[in-house]
Amino acid sequence: MSELLTLMLLFAGAGFFFAGTVGLLRFPDVYTRLHAITKADNVGLGLVVAGLLLQAESWAVRGKLLLIWLLVLLASASVAHLVARTALRKGIRPWKR
Amino acid sequence: MGFWRFCFRTLVFALLWWILTQGAINSWLVGAPVVLLAVLASGWLLPAISWSPSGVVRFIPFFLWRSLYAGVDVARRALHPKLPISPGLFDYRWRLPPGLPRVFMANTVSLLPGTLSAELGKEHLRVHVLDQSGDFISELSLVEERVARLFGVSLADAESEE
Repeated sequence: MSELLTLMLLFAGAGFFFAGTVGLLRFPDVYTRLHAITKADNVGLGLVVAGLLLQAESWAVRGKLLLIWLLVLLASASVAHLVARTALRKGIRPWKR
Repeated sequence: MGFWRFCFRTLVFALLWWILTQGAINSWLVGAPVVLLAVLASGWLLPAISWSPSGVVRFIPFFLWRSLYAGVDVARRALHPKLPISPGLFDYRWRLPPGLPRVFMANTVSLLPGTLSAELGKEHLRVHVLDQSGDFISELSLVEERVARLFGVSLADAESEE
């Protein structure tokens, strides 16, 4: 049962990584691409971690998985902000519909 | 650093060590001094943070739910044939006090639906919005209230927004 749930969570996570990558390719400028990559990958990794949590054999491993997710959250949010800020300061105008 | 803060930080770093070494007992020979050094270094590098346990407990499900929604939302827009986005910039006037709460909010905002923090100004947070037709202003003020509760700080009175 937990194997099946893990499998579903891993596939769902991969789906979000896929959507994030599609967004990276299809969105028109640096800002919108940052939206796609940060938010979709956050959920993708979160689902992968959730799937692996079900298979973890000890609390230390579960803690490590959660820690990895938290660090990636922190890193991706901070880096997205820095990239967006640099782009703004360089005068890159956001794409408008 | 006060006694309780010292105890709390020791607990946090010891927990981190335990996680990183996956509970190996003999690792504590190195771990115990490292934890102590980390606590002392944190006292020097990281000023006292005020936070409210109940605010944290309430923030976690809020964040998990909204960030999941953010992923679904952006995935839908990315995969939609017509690419339904209408981006723009928006200056959100801070009600949070300067410092860690603002940085925390800026990072949170980037993971929540349709918003990306682009510049931490003195008076405003400049946000890139993926869809300007959405109700992102109330989303931002809701996030700000949750962050304020998390840190146990009060919000400045909102001046007229537009």
